[in-house]
Amino acid sequence: MSSETGRSSGIASRISGAAGRAGGAALDRLTTVTGPINRVLQPLANVYNRLIGGYFGEMNGLQFVLVVGTLVGLLTAPFWGNYALIQAMIAASIWAILAMGWDIQSGYTGYISFGHSVLSGGAGYTTAMLIHNVNPELPMLVTIPVSVLAALGIGLLIALPSLRLSGPYFSLITFVAVLIFYRMMNPLSEYTGGETGLAGVEKIFDITEPVQSYYLFLLPMLAVAVALLIVARSNIGLILLAIRENESAVEAAGINATKFKIWSFMLSSIPMGIGGVLLAHRFGGVDPGSFIVVDNSIEMIAMAVVGGMGSILGPLGGAFFIILMEDIVLHAFGLDAQLRWAILWIIVLLILVFARQGLFRKLWYGLERLGGDRR
Amino acid sequence: MSVLEVENLTKKFGGLVAVDDFSFEVDEGEIVGLIGPNGSGKSTVFNCIMGIYGVTEGSIRFNGDDITDDSTHQVVNKGLSRVSQESNPIDSMSVAGNIKLFTLPNSIVSLRGGATQEEIYEYAARIDIEDDLQEMPDELPHADVRRLEIAKALATEPELLLLDEPFAGMNQAEIGELAAQIERFREEGMTMVVVDHNMGGLMGLVDRVVVLNNGDFLASGTPEEIAEDDAVQEAYLAGEGL
Repeated sequence: MSSETGRSSGIASRISGAAGRAGGAALDRLTTVTGPINRVLQPLANVYNRLIGGYFGEMNGLQFVLVVGTLVGLLTAPFWGNYALIQAMIAASIWAILAMGWDIQSGYTGYISFGHSVLSGGAGYTTAMLIHNVNPELPMLVTIPVSVLAALGIGLLIALPSLRLSGPYFSLITFVAVLIFYRMMNPLSEYTGGETGLAGVEKIFDITEPVQSYYLFLLPMLAVAVALLIVARSNIGLILLAIRENESAVEAAGINATKFKIWSFMLSSIPMGIGGVLLAHRFGGVDPGSFIVVDNSIEMIAMAVVGGMGSILGPLGGAFFIILMEDIVLHAFGLDAQLRWAILWIIVLLILVFARQGLFRKLWYGLERLGGDRR
Repeated sequence: MSVLEVENLTKKFGGLVAVDDFSFEVDEGEIVGLIGPNGSGKSTVFNCIMGIYGVTEGSIRFNGDDITDDSTHQVVNKGLSRVSQESNPIDSMSVAGNIKLFTLPNSIVSLRGGATQEEIYEYAARIDIEDDLQEMPDELPHADVRRLEIAKALATEPELLLLDEPFAGMNQAEIGELAAQIERFREEGMTMVVVDHNMGGLMGLVDRVVVLNNGDFLASGTPEEIAEDDAVQEAYLAGEGL
C-alpha cells in the first residue's frame, strides 16, 4: 500500500469527479492507445519517482513527459521564440510567482485574500523608495532582501489580526488593506511619487541581451515553484488543505490551525516580495496602477483559478495561459487591451462555472487516466 | 488518582445557563457514563473540556494540570481526545489520510513525520476499519464513518477518550460490536467518558454513571443504582424513557 499516492490519487478521483464524468467514457476509450505509450514512458518517470518523487509527488509516464517537455520548452524559449513571446514569458514568469504565492496561502487554506497586491506592491515600492529616498547607489544585494523582508512585514501585519477571524472577515480585511495602501500613495507623494510613481529602478531587462535577461526572470520563478512544491507536498501542505476542508478537525488533531494560517501567509509573502521586486526591475519603476490597485490582486486570483487553486503548478500554468492569451493569442487578432481583458474575464468566469478545478488540474488528472491503471 | 476533574463548571450562553455548577471526576482506567435527557448539557460539558467553548466559571484539570483556558489543540496534545457526535471527516482525503492528519506534529517546519503506513494500519485495526484505508469517507457506511472518527481520536494517542453519543444511528448488532471494541480499549488501559442520552448501550459497559439534568448534577452511581433512582426516573419521565 502506498498511502501517499493512494491519497493523492484519491483526491484526484474525487476532484475530477463530476465534471470529468461526461468526457470520461471517451477518455477511457483513448486509454487503449495511450496506456501502452504510458507504459513505455513509465520507466523514465520511475527514475524520477524513486529519486525525488517523495518530495514533489509521483507521476506516470505521460505526466512526466508533460513536465519535462514544459521545462525544456521554458528553458529553451529564447532559442526558438520571437521577441514578443520572450517579453510575454518574462511577464508570465513574474505573474506565475505571484499566482503561486497567492495559492500557497489562499488556494491551500481557503482563506481567500483579495489583498495580495499589497505584498508585491509593498516590495516593489520598497525597492523604488530605497533608491529614491535613501541612496540611488544602493546595490540590488541590499534592496532585494530588504524589499522581500518588507513584504514579509506587511504580510505579518495583515495576517496576525485577520487570520484569527473566520468567514468573510479575513477576505474583507485584505481587500481594505489594498484600498488603504492605494490611498496612501498621494498623501505620501513626497516619498511614493503619488500617481506617477517612482522611476529610476535599474532595469534588469536588457533589450540587447534578451536571452540573458529572460533567465533572470525564469530561474527565480522555477526556484519559487520548486520551493513551494516541496512545502505543498509536505505535511504543511496537507495541514493547510485540511484547514480549507475542515478547520475544526485540524484543531481536534492537536494542530494549531491559527499558527498554520499565519505561517501560510508568511510563506506566501516571500514569493510575493520576490515577484514585486522583479516587477519593479522589469518596468524600471513603480506606480500605483501597475503595482497596487486591487485589479492586480484579482488577476493573481484569476490565474490561480484558471490553472487550478491549491496545486502550485496550476497557478503557474494559469499565469502563462492568461499572459500568453492576452499578449500573444488575442493580440494576434488585433483586439485592443480592454477587449482582450474582457474576453479573458469571460474565460475565467466560464472556468469558474464549468471547470472549477482548473484547466491544468484537469489536464493532469486526464493524463493520469490516459495512462491507464499502473497498480 | 483522578485523571479528569471538572469543578463547579458553569457555562452560560447569554442569559441561558447550559451547565450550572457541575462537578465530576474520572479516575484512571474507568469508563464513566455521562447521561441525561436531550438538552441537559452533556455535549456542552464536552465542548468546555475540549476548549471549544470558553468556560464561564469553574475549572477543569487533566492529570492535575489546569486546562480550563486551553485551546482545543493544546487539550488534545495533553492527551485528551474527543469523538464528536457529528462525523466530520475530510472528504477529499482517504481514510488513511484522515487518520494520518491526526498524527502530524504541530510544527510549522516539520515537512515529514506523522504516522507510518504500518502505524496508520494499526490505528485502523484497533477499531476494525483496516480494510477501508484507501476508501474515501463518503463511500463508507455510517457505522464505519463513526469508527473512522474513533480511529482519528486514537491516532492522537489519548490517555482519556471522550465519546459523544458513539452509538447514535447504529443498529443493535453494530452497537454490540462497538461496545465490545470500547471494552477492548479499557483492557488496553484507556480511560473513557461516554455520553449518551439513554442507558441502553451503556449498561454493561460503564463502571459508573453520572446523570446531568438541566445542566445540573442529578445523581451518580453504578448503572444498576441509577436505573433504580427515583430522581433519575422522574427527570426522564419528563422527556423520554431511560
